Amino acid sequence: MDAGFFVQLAASAAAVGVLVAIAAWAKIARPVAPLDEHRARAILAEEFPGRAVEAVWVASDGAGALAKSGGLALVVCRVGDGFAARQIPWPQAVSATFRNGRLSVDLGDIAAPRAVITLPSWPPKSFDGDLAA
Amino acid sequence: MSLPDPIHAALNPVALATPIFIVTVLAEIILARMGKIDARYEGRDTAVSLGMGLGSNVAGLLFGAISFTAVVWVWQHWRIFDIPMTAWWAWVLVFLAEDLAYYWFHRLSHERRVWWLSHVNHHSSQHYNLSTALRQTWTGALNGSWSVYLVLSLLGFPPAMVAIQKGVSLVYQYWIHTEAIRRMPAWFEAVFNTPSHHRVHHARNAVYLDKNYAGILIVWDRLFGTFQPELDAEPCRYGLVKNLATFNIVRVAFHEWIAMAQDVVRHPRHALGYIFGPPGWSHDGSRETSAMIKARAAGGGEATSTGAAEPAVSPAAAAG
Ligand SMILES: [Zn+2]
Ligand SMILES: [Zn+2]
Repeated sequence: MDAGFFVQLAASAAAVGVLVAIAAWAKIARPVAPLDEHRARAILAEEFPGRAVEAVWVASDGAGALAKSGGLALVVCRVGDGFAARQIPWPQAVSATFRNGRLSVDLGDIAAPRAVITLPSWPPKSFDGDLAA
Repeated sequence: MSLPDPIHAALNPVALATPIFIVTVLAEIILARMGKIDARYEGRDTAVSLGMGLGSNVAGLLFGAISFTAVVWVWQHWRIFDIPMTAWWAWVLVFLAEDLAYYWFHRLSHERRVWWLSHVNHHSSQHYNLSTALRQTWTGALNGSWSVYLVLSLLGFPPAMVAIQKGVSLVYQYWIHTEAIRRMPAWFEAVFNTPSHHRVHHARNAVYLDKNYAGILIVWDRLFGTFQPELDAEPCRYGLVKNLATFNIVRVAFHEWIAMAQDVVRHPRHALGYIFGPPGWSHDGSRETSAMIKARAAGGGEATSTGAAEPAVSPAAAAG
């Protein structure tokens, strides 16, 4: 194991730091407007093609959405300048922790651990009966 | 003049090209900022991509000996031909043989979950820029995906020669990770892998899944039926079928390993399917493979994955 490798690694690490800082400074990410219901439904249709959506709750900050589709909750959350989506059983979404206007949904996925969706209230009155399902 | 060492490569093309990587990523960012070229960078995404690149060097130092030992051993004990490193034709041959081996290594890396475990890392960005090229796996030495290259040792290509050609291929594939170049001249697009062909490879649109596995020559995809041109009507959307919802680099590096281990522990009777099946395979059909996604999209019908039995606990991480 030679010292040259570590010198090179340290130099590369420094370069990475500088490049990341410049990438952030440049502000050339994709423009992402906050989600509205129309846009949320479009993303849901793209991520879950063929799934009928019964109701959609769009985060008040526009950074996510949750939809009911049969026995499933379809969850969309913002990641950087893109979105990620997962499906979980509806009862799991209904019983998710809701505190201070933030719904914290456990997505049960190591690559997508949780989604936080800001909502005025939760769970929805007309659907919480499904909890027993 | 002494003969070149057939085992230890005298030069490392990737190390030599590293300053060029740094300067060109910088140039792509600056030119995009000035509005001169088409490129998108997001800070945390860039940090993960470059961090993966940096970490892959460390991983190579830690685990590189595994594949190196196997490659050298097969060459020393089982080689069929003696291929001289000093002959020009040997370099032409290794160029073609390595590129063909790369095609199959890459194709298997998408088609079998046990190999996708490590290759998924290269595809997990929702961006496609020069930094994406440097988003390299940390675990490639651990799942044996390199074993395809043992065929080259068996044929008699000296390990040093193969190592240099692998480096050349990796450096070649760097520049094609960009949206700044729309199309190369038609003759070039016909023969070589290009930004347009490789954008298709990184796209998650159904029509683009599991296409364009080429390293340097796109002719292998044309030959083996995996070629898909980029369509103007179908702009590429990059990333995984189920995109990551985290920038935690440890999760990014190991998520598919952990997800596979969880599947095997939960369904031991179906372990073989979860290990050697295609990414997205599930014993109850609750997830989708890329073949299922493509069939559904082609049919325009309803979803085949109902998710009724259980939630998709791991990303149905088909091709990227
Ligand atoms: Zn790939
Ligand atoms: Zn790539």
